[in-house]
Amino acid sequence: MTGYAPPIRRLIRELNRFPGIGEKTATRLAQFILKSPEENAKRLAESIIEVKKKIRFCSTCFNLTEDALCEICSDPARENGIICVVENPDSLIAIEESGSYSGTYHVLHGVLSPADGIGPGSLRLTELMERISENTVKEVFLATNPSVQGESTALLIMKLLRDKDIRVTRIGLGIPVGGDLKYVDKMTMAKAIEFRRGI
Amino acid sequence: MIKRPIYEASAFVLSFLDYGESDRIVTFFTDKYGKIKGIAKGARRSKKRFANAIELFSHSRILFSRNRKDSLFLIENSDVIDHYPKIREDLEKTMAASYIIELAAHFTAEGKKSKKTFSLLKDFFEFLDRKKFTEESLRFFELRLIKLSGYEPVLEVCVACNTPLDEIKAPRFSATDGGIVCVECSRQRPGSLPVSVGTLKMLLMGKEMEMEKIHRLNLSKQSSRESKAILESFIPFILGKELKSVRVLKEIKRLMV
Ligand SMILES: [Zn+2]
Ligand SMILES: [Zn+2]
Repeated sequence: MTGYAPPIRRLIRELNRFPGIGEKTATRLAQFILKSPEENAKRLAESIIEVKKKIRFCSTCFNLTEDALCEICSDPARENGIICVVENPDSLIAIEESGSYSGTYHVLHGVLSPADGIGPGSLRLTELMERISENTVKEVFLATNPSVQGESTALLIMKLLRDKDIRVTRIGLGIPVGGDLKYVDKMTMAKAIEFRRGI
Repeated sequence: MIKRPIYEASAFVLSFLDYGESDRIVTFFTDKYGKIKGIAKGARRSKKRFANAIELFSHSRILFSRNRKDSLFLIENSDVIDHYPKIREDLEKTMAASYIIELAAHFTAEGKKSKKTFSLLKDFFEFLDRKKFTEESLRFFELRLIKLSGYEPVLEVCVACNTPLDEIKAPRFSATDGGIVCVECSRQRPGSLPVSVGTLKMLLMGKEMEMEKIHRLNLSKQSSRESKAILESFIPFILGKELKSVRVLKEIKRLMV
């Protein structure tokens, strides 16, 4: 990398920060940007800034949104008596794409991970409990991943809800142990939602 | 293509880090090679090569190779032997297992093999999977792991003057000295903690006992409290830091009451 002019080196270093992008790929991307018309480079830079400036968390469900409320929370057709609890926006998108869920969501933005120091306080749990105590919620559908961390997070939420008169369900069969909802195909997902089981 | 040698081992997943789009960098504790670190390419996507075995504290058989010296191992394949379903369906047990693997990760060094440490992990997870969980069982695991790592605390005599336990009236535990001290010697050790003779005898006994029988040891409230206190001061002293899972476990406990 030493042979490159400092601005190119800086760009390579920035691109190198992306997940899964090694130095070689970063160099290739930098060269592509260097060769492309200024217009394109500008558009790329602007959309990066735009995402950072405009995207924020939905004040109700913590999904990513441009407005105070996300599209799902502001849609009157969605059943707000059901909250589907997911780890991250990727899981939410995977469930939405299956087209078989019509309730609302709650994005935790993480799961319990003791060795990483991630406990209940690092998740959006207080906000979830507040939503639930508002009384209109009939079902909490736990759709954290079937990994050790996802399962223990579901167990924790279940314990927090044990004294409340609420149906608690867990995403159904078909999703393998240790799997990630992000990689589940639409058919399997639709089945896993349909056959969610009471716990 | 040059064929690389393939190694095989029985392994526990101590930790992992998601990397890139679907890879996972995994730290295993193996029976034959001790602690090793490797990359499992496509681990989050491939059901065939990894069969979902790269899960925290799960026990699997792994196949791995090495490209060149000093790089990560390449995990070629892993097959689950035991996921410990009874641990996974219980929050308390899962949290205990999470603590155990963090502890094991800190008390072992990469590439240093120890069949005994592997057996200790295996025995403990089987115990946790089959028996009722007790907080005290963690103390016996901690003591054994510390012993295997060469930091066994001295509980039979005063570490400073060698007075035997039976002759010490009010023994105290000094983390900085790695053992108990007598009344006289404890005067110069303001950080030492009181611990009863009964607790010390229980710990000495439990240290040698088979894991299977551990749940039969009935610790009094006092012994339970004292042994927790001394290990809570000794472990961070050896490691030079507090384990992250300790703080998280406390947070969860507070939430549950
Ligand atoms: Zn929303
Ligand atoms: Zn002494």
